[in-house]
Amino acid sequence: MAYDASRNPSQDVRERIYLPELLRGLAVTTRHFLRNLFGQRDTNASVLNRKGRSLVTTVQYPEERVAYPPGYRGLHRLVPREDGKPRCVACYMCATVCPAQCIYIEAGEYDPADSSAASRVIEKFPTTFVIDELRCIVCGLCVEACPKDAIRMDTATHAPSEYTRQGFVYDIPKLLNGPPVSHSSDPWKRRESSEAPEHQALEPHTRIGET
Amino acid sequence: MARPLTIVGAMLFILGAIASLMGVAYFLAALLPSAGRLVQIVILMLVFVMVIASLLTIAERKWSAMMQDRIGPNRARIDLPILRDSALMGVPHLAADALKMLFKEDFVPKAANGFLFNLAPILAFGPVFALFAIVPVGPSVRVLDRVVPMVIATPDFGVLFLFAIASLAVYGTSLAGWSSNNKLALLGGVRAASQMISYEVALGLSLVGMMVAFSTVQLPELIDGQARYLWLFSPRFDLGLPAWGIFLQPVGFVLFFTAAFAETKRTPFDLPEGDSEIIGYFVEYSGMKFGMFMISEFIEVVVLSAVSTAIFFGGYHLPIGEGWLARRGLIANHPWILGVILSTVFWIKVVVLCWLQLAIRWTFPRFRYDQVQALGWKMLLPLGLLNVFISGALVLWDPSLRALAVVGLLEIGIVAALTVRGEGHPSKIDSPAGSSPSVPALTGASTTGHD
Repeated sequence: MAYDASRNPSQDVRERIYLPELLRGLAVTTRHFLRNLFGQRDTNASVLNRKGRSLVTTVQYPEERVAYPPGYRGLHRLVPREDGKPRCVACYMCATVCPAQCIYIEAGEYDPADSSAASRVIEKFPTTFVIDELRCIVCGLCVEACPKDAIRMDTATHAPSEYTRQGFVYDIPKLLNGPPVSHSSDPWKRRESSEAPEHQALEPHTRIGET
Repeated sequence: MARPLTIVGAMLFILGAIASLMGVAYFLAALLPSAGRLVQIVILMLVFVMVIASLLTIAERKWSAMMQDRIGPNRARIDLPILRDSALMGVPHLAADALKMLFKEDFVPKAANGFLFNLAPILAFGPVFALFAIVPVGPSVRVLDRVVPMVIATPDFGVLFLFAIASLAVYGTSLAGWSSNNKLALLGGVRAASQMISYEVALGLSLVGMMVAFSTVQLPELIDGQARYLWLFSPRFDLGLPAWGIFLQPVGFVLFFTAAFAETKRTPFDLPEGDSEIIGYFVEYSGMKFGMFMISEFIEVVVLSAVSTAIFFGGYHLPIGEGWLARRGLIANHPWILGVILSTVFWIKVVVLCWLQLAIRWTFPRFRYDQVQALGWKMLLPLGLLNVFISGALVLWDPSLRALAVVGLLEIGIVAALTVRGEGHPSKIDSPAGSSPSVPALTGASTTGHD
């Protein structure tokens, strides 16, 4: 029912009488009304894929959420290892690169005398890892800078609500969440209990040209 | 299938509520013969008209949302145990709106005329309410050995009461506009006055055809006149074409509906309010005083629907099969059942016409002010005069009204043909062979959407 712009409304008998065009307009409204009244509304968050008779395209935000695109930078998280501790080795790269200077790290050292598995392959770990989410400009440079894939922005949440400013200062317990990640090159795999082959435990750049 | 079932269930619930309330009205009026009129005022006006009007405030928001592919208000919720925090299709918003209006500051401008400023909402509210007094809701039936009429008042001057009281409503708006001591409000009040005076004329003329056809000005007689059939096809089951005003006087109906719509000051004719230019005659009002203006607008919608139903859609009569229904054994022995059924039919018609008005309000762009006046004086008035002459001549020629009905059906047919035929293109271009192209029916005209 595309409108023909070449038609002169003042010469069209239906337009002149006005009532027929009025009824046609009412028919459009009525059709939409009936379809939306009786049609079950599809709550699929990707609106273009919605099925059914209902024409409503609303996404009711708190209950229904549009999926974030893959590259979306959300709230930070500290990536855990398989044993639940952060992958972070307290190298200060993210804190250094951060243009907003919102990351504060205090490093701790594994006791060399300790015979536990981690201490023999990793020197340092963060005792304090704090991100001030109010200062963060969500540029993603910390993720780029991290050599250990220990910080990510893939939580797909944004603008969490807090009652105080101090609440936005996220520490390790708040940051450490999400699925654990491990790479074949992780030094942590070189601990005794690990079953990974020795060559996989090498850092990736040492394996270049190795064949 | 959950949603259609919910909708149908809600409709049946509403029908049940209407029917049981009308049953209560009949029995209360029969039990309290000395206060029968009071019972009808309370139940018909305060319960039915008021409740429908206040539900229309939420219906306008919800229905307009559906017409525009939105969801509409659904955030106000009452956490009842059975309903599991359901939005109840937006109805709790009614309570939220009313509470908000009640608790808002009642502001009176310093330069306003305080007395008239307070009087204006009452003057706008009262007359539209009083209009309903002459509309018969159900038939007069015997309940508990007493004939109970279901109408508040049957003055001899009938429809003339409608015209008289309807024109009183303009005092409320004009006084509101003047007493606010605000330029924009005054402009709105002046526009309201001139618009309503213009459309009074067409409003009066539009009903003359019906008065001539049934030679009465009383609504009960007009309704009983529409109960008979012009052509009866099956006397056993009462199948036929009833002598409804819409078939006899389609032009009269369009004129009446347009003029009365202009009187309600709703969107195609919302110049007195003019949300987008002047805020209108109630610009200085706040809280429940503004609420009275708003609710009186919706009461006008209900009353206009009720009057249109009574005059053009056979009032409380069923289109077919009423005689067959009345002859059933149970109903013949208990005539109040027929009364309840027919008055429920009346309210169904009223609600459907209310829906039509809201659909019109959300379909059409508003007119410019000169267009409103041109429509009133140059289109409706001459058409009304022409309609009176033609109807008068046809009634004189054929008192059985069949000639009038043939002309009326012809008019309906012409408009329907113009509406359905062609998809906005002249058929010459579409079909070189000259045969009219097969055009999908109106309801299926564009299943592709995006219109």
